[in-house]
Amino acid sequence: MNKLSRILLAPIKGSEEFAERFLFHRRLPVLLVFAALTLFLAWQAVQIRPDASFVKMIPTSHPYVENYLKNRDDLAGLGNSVRVAVAVNEGDIFTAEFQETLQKITDELFFIPGVDRSALTSIWTPNVRWTEVTEEGFVGGPVIPADYDGSAASLEQVKLNILRSGQVGRLVANDFRSAIVQVPLFDKHPDTGEKLDYQALSQQLETLIRDKYQSDQISVHITGFAKIVGDLIDGAAQVAVFFGIALLITLVLLYLYSRSITGTLVPLACSVIAVIWQLGLLKLLGFGLDPYSMLVPFLVFAIAVSHGVQIVNTIALESARGADSWLAARRAFRALYIPGLTALLSDGIGFVTLMVIDIRVIQDLAIAASLGIAVIILTNLFLLPVIMSLLGIGERATQRALIAEQKQDSNWHRLTWFATPTGAKFAVVVAGILLVGGLYQGQKLQIGDLDSGAPELRADSRYNVDNRFITQHYSTSSDTFVVMVGTEKDQCSSFNTLSLVDRFQYYLTNIEGVQSSVSLVNVSKRVTSGLNEGNLKWRTVSRNQLVINASLSYVPAGLMNPSCSLLPVIIFLDDHKAQTLQRLTGKIEQFAAQHDSEQIRFEMAAGNSGFEAATNEVIGTAQYQMLAWVYAVVGLLCLLTFRSVKTLICIIAPLALTSILCQALMASLGIGVKVATLPVIALGVGIGVDYGIYIYSKLNTYLVQGMALPEAYLNTLKTTGKSVAFTGLTLGIGVVLWVFSPIKFQADMGILLTFMFLWNMLGALVLIPALACLLKCGATGIEAISTTEAEVKDVVK
Amino acid sequence: MDPIRSLIHCFALAAVLLSSSVSAQADVDRLNTPALPSYRADQTLMLDIAKHGDQLLAVGDQGVVMRSSDQGQHWQQVQTPFSVMLTSVFFTDAQHAWLTGHDGLFAASQDGGMTWQKLLDGDQINRLRLQRLQAIAAELQSQLDAEPDNESLMMRSDDATWYAEDAAAAVEEGPSIPLLDVWFADQQRGFALGAYGLLLKTDDGGQSWAYWGDRLDNPDNFHLNAMMADHRGDLYIAGEAGLLFRSTDKGMHWIRIDTPYEGSFFSITEFKQQLFLMGLRGHLYRSDDGIDWQAVKTGYQATLLSAVAEADKLVLLGQGGLIIESADGQHFTPLDSGGRRSLSAGVAVDGGYRLVGEGGLLSLEAGDE
Repeated sequence: MNKLSRILLAPIKGSEEFAERFLFHRRLPVLLVFAALTLFLAWQAVQIRPDASFVKMIPTSHPYVENYLKNRDDLAGLGNSVRVAVAVNEGDIFTAEFQETLQKITDELFFIPGVDRSALTSIWTPNVRWTEVTEEGFVGGPVIPADYDGSAASLEQVKLNILRSGQVGRLVANDFRSAIVQVPLFDKHPDTGEKLDYQALSQQLETLIRDKYQSDQISVHITGFAKIVGDLIDGAAQVAVFFGIALLITLVLLYLYSRSITGTLVPLACSVIAVIWQLGLLKLLGFGLDPYSMLVPFLVFAIAVSHGVQIVNTIALESARGADSWLAARRAFRALYIPGLTALLSDGIGFVTLMVIDIRVIQDLAIAASLGIAVIILTNLFLLPVIMSLLGIGERATQRALIAEQKQDSNWHRLTWFATPTGAKFAVVVAGILLVGGLYQGQKLQIGDLDSGAPELRADSRYNVDNRFITQHYSTSSDTFVVMVGTEKDQCSSFNTLSLVDRFQYYLTNIEGVQSSVSLVNVSKRVTSGLNEGNLKWRTVSRNQLVINASLSYVPAGLMNPSCSLLPVIIFLDDHKAQTLQRLTGKIEQFAAQHDSEQIRFEMAAGNSGFEAATNEVIGTAQYQMLAWVYAVVGLLCLLTFRSVKTLICIIAPLALTSILCQALMASLGIGVKVATLPVIALGVGIGVDYGIYIYSKLNTYLVQGMALPEAYLNTLKTTGKSVAFTGLTLGIGVVLWVFSPIKFQADMGILLTFMFLWNMLGALVLIPALACLLKCGATGIEAISTTEAEVKDVVK
Repeated sequence: MDPIRSLIHCFALAAVLLSSSVSAQADVDRLNTPALPSYRADQTLMLDIAKHGDQLLAVGDQGVVMRSSDQGQHWQQVQTPFSVMLTSVFFTDAQHAWLTGHDGLFAASQDGGMTWQKLLDGDQINRLRLQRLQAIAAELQSQLDAEPDNESLMMRSDDATWYAEDAAAAVEEGPSIPLLDVWFADQQRGFALGAYGLLLKTDDGGQSWAYWGDRLDNPDNFHLNAMMADHRGDLYIAGEAGLLFRSTDKGMHWIRIDTPYEGSFFSITEFKQQLFLMGLRGHLYRSDDGIDWQAVKTGYQATLLSAVAEADKLVLLGQGGLIIESADGQHFTPLDSGGRRSLSAGVAVDGGYRLVGEGGLLSLEAGDE
């Protein structure tokens, strides 16, 4: 064990010596290189653009998504579309003015880039038709008659045609006070191959439609995935303001803490440099900023500041002991190199474990965050001491450090109670009670989104208000789940196919949470009835193939593919709660297992709820995988550093308690495990372990000197405790502001991360000494760390 | 037993077993697949409802049969061995009920609708029709052989041959003709009628059937939509393209009655000893004797699909949720059902109506007026 860890740690020790000599003997060239790199990366960073892609937010190797991607071209218009509802504030839609507005909006939408023009529908498009039976047979035409002139008579005709078209509840509201333009989008333009620019589209919808046509009489409501993404990008941009606020607060706190202008500005500047580097590198690597990785700069900043504080604190202590600024900085570098590097490595590796989750946005987040951590090693572990060695910490800060170390009667004294057997037992018992309570409450934790509408956005956001408007006034739900029924070529409309799909759709009605479903079968049944004078007794799939073919002479877009080997069944759901989706997918699997054959296959899934179901499944399993990985990695790193299982327990146990309490908190606040909240626990553990590592390594130093545990702990607190508390505070400030984000999941992340950062700090300050006391660790720890230090000294000599 | 013959028997048996096992695997034919239970079966498209005492039966899409024994306060879905769309249901007494459906389905219940046995399907109907039409064609051919110069006989023979060939093609095509209505005089004697001029008669409670469509003057094979008996015991069949037939001898012979309308009739009913015939686009006609028909102006354009005749009130049901009522059969006023969904049939119960249609089962309390 010792041998192994020595081998593994050898490069770190070796690098310490090399780095120290290199940095502190060639300070000017080092600074110049850093300055040049910073300029270059800053130039890159300003070019970074917000980015969001549909496919990135879903688990692409999940069978559901694979099935969708396989049929993607055939499902055009189902995957991605925007609905624009134009509503009158008074009266109904049967006025010349309203119809003119609706026509203009339809035309305007037609010309917006990215719109699939052939599939655009509103009552003003010719592909929306009415049909009726007369004594002479079947007649029909476009809803807006050819001779429409806005007169009362032609408006009456429009009204009649709408009633006959079956579009009430779809394109026309149930209360006739609004009408919808359905706008299918190309994810990738078929001719130019250009990717859909969600932000541009969303802005065009705002400026060309909403701003232009909304008035006292007319209100415009827009929903659809593209709009959500647009709003997310806009909302995420507001986060920049929070960054500024966080920066200012940190500045003030840093000064209050250090009473040194250099001690305030240098860590802050280095942390900002870290953020610049991280963004610049992301851009260089070809990444954009999606609403999820938008948060990474905050984390990088907060982590960078917290490490900066450790270094500044140590420099102040060394200065107080009489070292000049060069020596003080160099000593601080040496003292913090290993714990700092270990802490940062465990942060970074903690983030890397997020890569096991097969969802691109999370993987991108992992890359961005790991990159940020790597950058902090350079900026705050290397650059910061070098700058400090030039500028010095200042007299006031040195004096303060001196006073603080010598002061006997400090508030920290109270905390040492937890290092005595009584206090330790008390702390552990309380922690045990919290653990049990947390585990109990955590059982209620749910997978997936729990709110209706677009859960990414706040319930009172414009989008969700619009969405509620549409779900209230129209018969279609915004939660759709698409089953793709695959057949042999040209068999999608055969009697056998249609009658089985008919049965399938009836089977669906017996599943709780399913509102209704639509497929080619509904078209065939409705038209067959129409061909028989609208008699309800004929509203079934005819056994006569010729009748079926006649009934499908006009099929609305998206209900079958051109080669007639695929017919989607679109299922409308009450909500997209994980439970609803799980029940549905389970039942559909049963049906598929019974009926799948060489002729027909029932495959899941597309539609927003289909992807959500896939995402939930991936997250459900990834959740535990990720926890196992992050704890394994962090645990291994602690074990390598401290070479003691007892120490490992001392550091990991508080983290585990926080993780469990965090889950309990999520359950209590109704926050589900989802794309946005899944990374939080990994981030929390990865960053939380820093406290433990800093505290325990300092504690060890004093234990090595032969102090008893309470005394060693008091000294630890006096020197490091303050900076640990301060670290918790800066990290908390970095994320707590997200709570005000217009984006719901950022707010959720903010709450949870703040909780985890603060609780981890508290856990570290209270539980580490308590556990160290009860486990009587010390002996192995002392031996281990002293050898390490001795070795380091040998090498330095 | 002759060894060779027994060997052949063995092979035949094996073949039957094989084919049945193969078809059992791939066969999800709705004629033989039990209806799926659903907790929302009451919201299935329902097409007909029948009443006997406190018992109600409603039938609809997907083989769904709903049963109530308290006038529709509570309903339960009944297990059925088929899942085709069911089109009509009829009680003869508390035990005996009959229903028809698509694909030529006819089924009977002897326990008030709790369990159902399929007695007839479209394949059997096609064969019955083919046999009957071939027999007619053969009969005419032999008459023609006797007097080859009879031109009208020649034309009739040609027609009969054509119908027989058509029926033969239908056999190939499979059981695609739906039955649309059923009417029984008693537990033994009844009729089932349907699309393309299909009329069948049974005298043994549906065990065996005779093809009866050739007894109607319906050369274009228009759909037959509804059948009823009036207080005199005369029988009527209403159908597509203004068709109306009457029989005064319990269905043995039928005469075609001229009606003043070319469109389809979907229902015929009797109210205060007057007959009412209704159909497409709100057309409604009234007659005292079943021969002369006068138009009744209701003021509504929606297609009328069914009627509920009570002692003192006539209620007409139709497309788009139309419900209109009249006390005299002349003047109609709307009864608001609060829906736009088409209604297919209804019965009167204590304190209101039980209706069926696009939205499934619907209760209309008399107080809703």
